Amino acid sequence: MWGVTDQPSENLYMPMIAVVDEIFDETPDTKTFRLCFEDKEYAKSFSWEPGQFVEVTIFGAGEAPIGFASNPLEKSFFELTVVARGKVTQMMHELKRGDQVGIRGPFGNCWPLEAVKGMDLLVVSGGCGLAPLRPAILQILANRKDYGEFWMLYGARTPADRDFKYDLEEWAKRDDMHLLQTVDIGDDTWKDNVGVVTTLFDKIKIDARNTVALNCGPAIMIKFVTIGLLKMGFSEDRLVTSLERYMKCGVGKCGHCCVNHVYLCTEGPVFTYQQMRALPELKL
Amino acid sequence: MKASETWVLKKTDVSKFFAGVAKEMRLVAPRYLFGGDVTFGVVESPGEIAWDYGHVIYPPKRFLLPHYEDMFRYECGPPRRIRLEAINEAPPQAILGIRSCDVSAIRFQEKFFGSPIVDPYYKARSDSTVLFSLVCNAPPKKECFCICCDAGPYLNAGFDVQLTDLGDRFLYEIGSEKGTKATEAGASMLVKAGSDDIAERRRIEVQADLLFETTAYLAKAIDFISADEVPDEIWEELGSTCFRCGACTNLCPVCTCYTVDDRAEADGSFTRCRSWDSCQYAGFTREASGHNPRPTFGSRVQRRFYHKTSYPYIMRDGRHGCVGCGRCISACLTKLGVPDVVKRIRRGMHKYLPAQDRAAEV
Amino acid sequence: MNPVLTTCGFCSCGCALYIESAAAARVASLYPSANHPVSSGRLCMKGWNATPAVLGVDRLTRPLIRKRDRLEPASWDEAISFTASSLKRFISDIGPQSVGIIGSAKTTNEECYSLARLARGVIGTPNIDGACRLYDASIIHALLQTTGTAAPQVDVNAVAHAGSILVVGANVMEQLAHVGSRIEDAADNGCKVVAVDPRTSRLAPHTSLFLHPYPGADLIWARALVKAIIDRKLYVDSAPEAPGFEELRSSLDEAAGGLKAACGIDAGEIMEMAETLAENPPLVVMFGLGVLQQLQSTEIVKALADVAILLGGSVMPLRGQNNAQGACDLGLVCDLLPGYALLTNPAARKVWEVIWDCQLPAKPGMSAVDMIRACQSGEIKGLMVFGENVALSAPSTEESLEALDRVEFLAVSDLYLTETARLADVVFPACSFLEKDGTFTNIERRVQRVRRAFEPMGDSRSDLDIIADLASALGAEFPRDPRKVMAEIATSVSLYKGVSYDKLDESWGQQWPAGGAKAKLAPVSVGVAAKDEAYPFRIIASRINYHQQTGTMSARSSVLAREYPETYAELNEADAEGLGLRSGRPIRISSKSGSLVRTLMLSDSVPLGCVHVPHFFGGDSPNMLASYECDPVSGVPAYKALAVNVEAVK
Repeated sequence: MWGVTDQPSENLYMPMIAVVDEIFDETPDTKTFRLCFEDKEYAKSFSWEPGQFVEVTIFGAGEAPIGFASNPLEKSFFELTVVARGKVTQMMHELKRGDQVGIRGPFGNCWPLEAVKGMDLLVVSGGCGLAPLRPAILQILANRKDYGEFWMLYGARTPADRDFKYDLEEWAKRDDMHLLQTVDIGDDTWKDNVGVVTTLFDKIKIDARNTVALNCGPAIMIKFVTIGLLKMGFSEDRLVTSLERYMKCGVGKCGHCCVNHVYLCTEGPVFTYQQMRALPELKL
Repeated sequence: MKASETWVLKKTDVSKFFAGVAKEMRLVAPRYLFGGDVTFGVVESPGEIAWDYGHVIYPPKRFLLPHYEDMFRYECGPPRRIRLEAINEAPPQAILGIRSCDVSAIRFQEKFFGSPIVDPYYKARSDSTVLFSLVCNAPPKKECFCICCDAGPYLNAGFDVQLTDLGDRFLYEIGSEKGTKATEAGASMLVKAGSDDIAERRRIEVQADLLFETTAYLAKAIDFISADEVPDEIWEELGSTCFRCGACTNLCPVCTCYTVDDRAEADGSFTRCRSWDSCQYAGFTREASGHNPRPTFGSRVQRRFYHKTSYPYIMRDGRHGCVGCGRCISACLTKLGVPDVVKRIRRGMHKYLPAQDRAAEV
Repeated sequence: MNPVLTTCGFCSCGCALYIESAAAARVASLYPSANHPVSSGRLCMKGWNATPAVLGVDRLTRPLIRKRDRLEPASWDEAISFTASSLKRFISDIGPQSVGIIGSAKTTNEECYSLARLARGVIGTPNIDGACRLYDASIIHALLQTTGTAAPQVDVNAVAHAGSILVVGANVMEQLAHVGSRIEDAADNGCKVVAVDPRTSRLAPHTSLFLHPYPGADLIWARALVKAIIDRKLYVDSAPEAPGFEELRSSLDEAAGGLKAACGIDAGEIMEMAETLAENPPLVVMFGLGVLQQLQSTEIVKALADVAILLGGSVMPLRGQNNAQGACDLGLVCDLLPGYALLTNPAARKVWEVIWDCQLPAKPGMSAVDMIRACQSGEIKGLMVFGENVALSAPSTEESLEALDRVEFLAVSDLYLTETARLADVVFPACSFLEKDGTFTNIERRVQRVRRAFEPMGDSRSDLDIIADLASALGAEFPRDPRKVMAEIATSVSLYKGVSYDKLDESWGQQWPAGGAKAKLAPVSVGVAAKDEAYPFRIIASRINYHQQTGTMSARSSVLAREYPETYAELNEADAEGLGLRSGRPIRISSKSGSLVRTLMLSDSVPLGCVHVPHFFGGDSPNMLASYECDPVSGVPAYKALAVNVEAVK
């Protein structure tokens, strides 16, 4: 009965096997998993864009959609940053190095890094919202001369709750980008801003007419960031965010992730505010 | 034997004809159960087929999109070695006696599952299915309203083989390559339809049109819903009596939404299985954080109708999402069948429209 | 792939379902019967998701025996003989009264009957009772004394033609969808629906009057309603001829006034209710757990039955479980023999002593609640529980859990390893209604066939087989063929006369006749509204529609479980503000008997001074707030209207 099957058929519902190579603890409830496909040929041909996601099978539990969090140019592995919330992600947090997971994808659209070449960039994120933006940031930095000014704002509840602290440290030192961080509650060692991420707005020096904002984080944060940026003069087609919905199939069939006529898994999750305003369910 | 040709099959030849079809594929047809209940099921012999069956609750869509469908199995063997096995059962089948509404719905689903990404399970089943549909000489139940939806009681296109009951014989129309191929085995039993046959069929068409008791004037509702002009109060009023049973979507031959579970088996393996889900359940959109973008009954009723009757979906799917089969009326524990909701939206909108825009109440 | 026609095992609507299975014990296609009088082509959310609910991955598939303080798999022989030898030891060392059995309101008629016979006829213990004791047993004596029938008097479809309907203390739209659907049909046709419930419910859109009494004050307004009907002569012409009329009339001699303060409904509303119901015949009076689980439940039911009798209407008690009716019909009741014969009646005992070839005790045994308490005191040495998660459904959960843990021997039969089964010495893996043959009796007294659609999962067996195995190990041979058991029931229980599997196969079930007895009016006690300074709030416990009882079955369907994953409790905004409580934060609700923590949500639908605590699967049940205080006549614990305290969790 059992054939050993690592190759997917033309069946987009069958996952490929990947192995957990490394696990990094980002915060008390967030881990980054470095995954490598078992099939090296497949790994070579597997390519994805910042903003996309995969459906991860935790064998025995089920599937969950998780966004890529690593450098898209890296071929030998990819990373997923996961908060343990539901049944599948909680079981994922119990994985050890060497465990196998199933991967389907890549799915979804991507941050519009091609379209915004030549423009100034403002990347605003909060909490675990940094993870889906990290591939974009890494790609921007790898092609730095293709973009203008690069501002980055990042907020978290406490210093310990920040994801990718190792990257933040590096980025803070770079002179080709401006990184501003803030926390809701500081600690003894925290020297930067205290307050929600919108409190950083008066510290940034940009011309909204030439800037595109990429924005990802908790829904309430996105709401207030959007209000603030619109006030600053950003046009609705220059505010880009990544929406979240409960997902199942990832391929635009099961219906769970629909917002009006749009399937987030195939036509999203990245949208401009202008596109979002055309979706009445969002009540914007 | 060409498509779009019209033939006649004597009723006395029907069993023999379909016995021939049965050599190539299993026959799925209406059968009587108990107390007047009917279902579509696999029949062993054409004699079991209840050609006079009326209507069926459980839609034949389940022979292409099963209620519970196993997708693949996996085993977590030692040492942590995962083995996957695809499942793809698509037995060749002929669905006999299926109504025009259900045929239209299947064509809708084929388009949906076939593009832009191909669903391999649906495709495999649909590729191996041929439909021998049956024209309704009269609407089988009072809730039928397929004429309002361009989906019956007979079809001019989109069928494989369309049968019409002319008394002692069936009119036999071939509408597709599949239909042609499925007819080959019994071609010798068919004779070309004569003008009498065609005339009888025309008479039936005219007659059937007059017998519908339920109507759904969808056009205005489609306008309001597409423009997002229906106020929340109307949706919440509609939602206030919903029993959240999911019958409307389960039994709708057009609806396609499903959920996926990994089910543990007794031998320690797991089966990934998809099963019909409903946008009318609160948990349909609830996220792991607990946030629910559609937290009220009204928002979910709105969703069902947006998906079925808004321009963006109509453009994408090629038609609106209702074939007028009437199942959502008879299956609903309250009054949220499509015609009822459409009527209440039209009437409810009256007070929101400027006086000069209010159409006469139809 | 032949569809099997069977009866749903969730609620008492008793819908007819077709089940199609492709392979053994896999989730299967399911659809309702179009022509069955109740299901009429429709099902509720639980019905549509029934197969994953009962075929969950963690179904018990092998007997378990506690060895070295752990439950370990065992063979059926081991499990049965260990149980039998334990029971024999108790019987010989102390006496049969040291054994107790609590039966189910979900098992088939044949199983309920056989269990009662096992207890009384083979073990010889008087301590046999059913799960109804924890839910709706209060209807039994209250209705036997009034309408004469301990069951609904009308069919579900008749509800749609009622002229007026009084619905008291029942979340009927969410718990008995088909009854709710007919109520809506009736309202659409002009029927006057009067609902009475401390909290609003989804009945509201269909009601012409919705009154909100204080929790626990139902006897007060019900008595006032009876008085209003009599004082204003709103009763039908034949009412004064009913036995008990004069006594009732003269007993209602209290002065008017103070009603609103006492129960939350004022005299004007009572009068409106009386007139509405009187002027719109035919009347159906319905009531659910909201009153059936109150401290004075028997009295309330009698008062409501009086209302129906005075106005020439019918009574429809809303019992939730699929075979609550059958379980009581067939004597899973501590003071009744099958067919509602009193155990204390020597002639009735004689009849059954002959049929069962045994000696019957002359006095009723312990109720289910008393048995659990007796597990603590040691009076009960051996307890068997069939198909009821008493650990969660019994009151005073902390004490009850301790009692069940303490009892020397506990055997449990269930589908899953419930909280009760976890405490057992022996666990019998029972199979579900999809895997056995038998009958259920629905809310219309309709005996209907349950037909096996799958082979039992793993090594699970029907309760009928388990009971017959136990009987055999105790020296008696019980029939294992449910057809034969029903044949015996049909000859011995007059209500079930003429019921046979052959006839059931030809019909949509057989209804046993109601309405033989002459209606009597019962006196109505005076209601007491208690106040407790230390516990100033009253709970309103409710059930949500995709969850049934303790949620053992419904939790296993991912679709049902998905509906409300978080447990919450609701307060009125004003009360929350007054207590300094914030939405979304945990609150502690405590009573004399226990406490539980829920996430707070705010809702206007909750009256001031009340906290709404729904039942959920997983998490603590509001039952833990209830003490062992019971309705004195029916012995049903008072789960409703409990006095509690509400505070933030530090």
